[in-house]
Amino acid sequence: MFLDDREQVVLEEVRRFLRDEVTPDLVAESLHDELLYGGQLGRKFIRKFAQRGWLVPTWPREYGGLESSQMLAASIKHEMSYARVPMTFPGAFQGGPIIMKYGSEEMKAEFLPRLARGEIEFALGYSEPSAGSDLMNLRMLAEDKGDHFLINGQKTFTTQAHIGDYHWLAARTNPEGRKSERLSLFVVDFKTPGITVRPMITMAGTQTNDVFYDNVKVDRRYLVGEKNNGAQYLMSALEHERTFPYGHYLRFFEELVDYTRSARRNSKPLAGDPLIRQRLAEHATELEVIKHLYYNIAALQDEGRSSVYEASMEKVFLSEFEQRLAATAMEILGHLGQLKGSNTAAPLNGLAEYYYRWTVIETIYGGTSEVQRNIIASRGLQMPRA
Amino acid sequence: MNYQLESAELMLREAAADFLEKKVNGDRIRSLEKSTSGFSRELWEEMAAMGWMGLNVPEAYEGHQAGFMYLVVILEQIGRCGLASPFFHTVALGNELLNAIGSDAQKTAILPRVVRGEAILSVAYAGADEPRSPADLPLEATADGHRYRLKGTCLMVPFAHIADHLICAARIEGQGCGLFLLDPDTPGLAIKALQTSADDRQYELVFDDVVVGEDALLGTAGDSWPVFQRLLLQAAVAKCAELVGGARRALEITVAYSKERVQFGQPIGAFQAVQHHCANMLTYLDTSALITRHVCRKVHAGTANVADMAKCKAWVSDACRKLLLLAHQIYGGMGFMEESDLQIYFRRVKAAEQFCGNASFHREIVARELDL
Repeated sequence: MFLDDREQVVLEEVRRFLRDEVTPDLVAESLHDELLYGGQLGRKFIRKFAQRGWLVPTWPREYGGLESSQMLAASIKHEMSYARVPMTFPGAFQGGPIIMKYGSEEMKAEFLPRLARGEIEFALGYSEPSAGSDLMNLRMLAEDKGDHFLINGQKTFTTQAHIGDYHWLAARTNPEGRKSERLSLFVVDFKTPGITVRPMITMAGTQTNDVFYDNVKVDRRYLVGEKNNGAQYLMSALEHERTFPYGHYLRFFEELVDYTRSARRNSKPLAGDPLIRQRLAEHATELEVIKHLYYNIAALQDEGRSSVYEASMEKVFLSEFEQRLAATAMEILGHLGQLKGSNTAAPLNGLAEYYYRWTVIETIYGGTSEVQRNIIASRGLQMPRA
Repeated sequence: MNYQLESAELMLREAAADFLEKKVNGDRIRSLEKSTSGFSRELWEEMAAMGWMGLNVPEAYEGHQAGFMYLVVILEQIGRCGLASPFFHTVALGNELLNAIGSDAQKTAILPRVVRGEAILSVAYAGADEPRSPADLPLEATADGHRYRLKGTCLMVPFAHIADHLICAARIEGQGCGLFLLDPDTPGLAIKALQTSADDRQYELVFDDVVVGEDALLGTAGDSWPVFQRLLLQAAVAKCAELVGGARRALEITVAYSKERVQFGQPIGAFQAVQHHCANMLTYLDTSALITRHVCRKVHAGTANVADMAKCKAWVSDACRKLLLLAHQIYGGMGFMEESDLQIYFRRVKAAEQFCGNASFHREIVARELDL
């Protein structure tokens, strides 16, 4: 880490707070809610956490931040993930920065302080049945009716819809326009009449949602920035925080190593098996590499440099590593690995089998590994478009 | 975390890059590989004139005492141009060993001549395997009054045929490891050329009852293993800088080729299969560069631990090999021809991967550091 003394003190306070406040119940709820903070305990925890400006440390003080370095923000996220609450905040991390850059003063005042205090959460409304990675082709229509927009269509994989307060929504306002001038962004209260949320359950047992809009009227003041500039705002959001913390996998790896030190298979110590030694050492090495990919993004941002392809690289590397780690854990645990945490006989609290299911989802959401590789090739190596 | 070079390091890098770009290209490397000695004295003297031989030599012995970071800045550029030379063993290993345990007389006799480009060093220590303890050393030294008798065969000793001094690690009964400073023409020592995949001039040293005085011992008698082992690990990290340099150049020429080479009416770089190979190559490169930069800074500051260094060589060895394999896949038939520069990097990277222990050697160290 490269923190000045003042920021080092903040990080120490964060560590102390997490030691005191993260309970097994909170960890369980957070896992069940796909690491979001919409649950009862999570909301209580995050409000207390956010009181100190820790949720959005890089934001200006007037909106509730600490005007800190990105390195401190990355360090705090790491501490949270190592404490097993690796929460993601679509509102504070993705919607908030766009509002701050492009939103009206009125919109900033309405949303930014509440996001910073952890009082509200957004759900990302990008994906549709016919527009996943091909986001610019989404179909949800927002007709301009002067003082309001009339919105119709369907979103899918809206993960936070059942626990979030607002829908951070991309919709077409200029259906015939060029791809880059077709979309607008909105902040829509989920309580608005005409919105229906339908649960979708993943193979990890977590919930995401379909969201249907049937003649939903959204006041014009909830249009973000200028009409038809949504695509441009989304592209600029690539420069914001898109880093995925790895502390919870570091923690799991440490527990797996602990387990291996004492476990025996066929009356021989597992730790004596050269294949297992090589595999665990490889994962220790990969975790070291991930640490550098992770903090390098913060270092680049603090130097005012672009970190677009680097963020994609960290996402691919980390999420694909997670799958390898989960597979190694399952292999080391043998058939006990399939036991869920609810069994008393489950080693490592059943995390191995949970991660084995969950990490499949990680290489898909937020842009698949293939889409990330496209970004690495085009933004990192300026390779031509097909 | 700071992954950028500081301004003095950047200046050195620019100077080295300019110099090597003018002096060394694929054609020069191909002709050096085919020459008898595989070595250009003229180039060596020019490198010495640039001050490179004394980067890690104290001022008392005519060096610049600039430190490890400056050395690896040069090594990265050497890796980038693909040159095989005695620079690594002379400076990154030889100078370090002399500094660490040589007597003042030994340093005075050798280091200033190294700095001036007048002396070349090589280091002999490995047999069939990279050693993990003094017991693995293939060379045995037996005390005989005020003399030692050396017996055994060392392998993979680079540029031994033109070395002015050899530093040879031997196990000494009851003491551990001793490092001996030898003239290459000491009676009983035979130097035989090995043919290697990188044509990088490695030799077999056969010691048939070689007798040396006790003053040939580097420093004083006693176990030199802990220092030697640490400097080998440090050399492994330094080698990573060379690997990063070569891998970066390989990626650059491959991506450039993919943008020029047209098939099916478009540059092959527009195909997603090629782009994903390139994205993976950039990932191998960036991860290697980041971990190497980080660990080199720690070595420079004296804060690197064993696990840091072993993880670095474990990662970079594998990542750079995989990068080169992908580069060849993209380059197609043009990549594997002798006149292609890519194949030079392919062979250099493989040799560097194996130097001072490959990835599985270092992963075993990591496993031990995990208390497994």
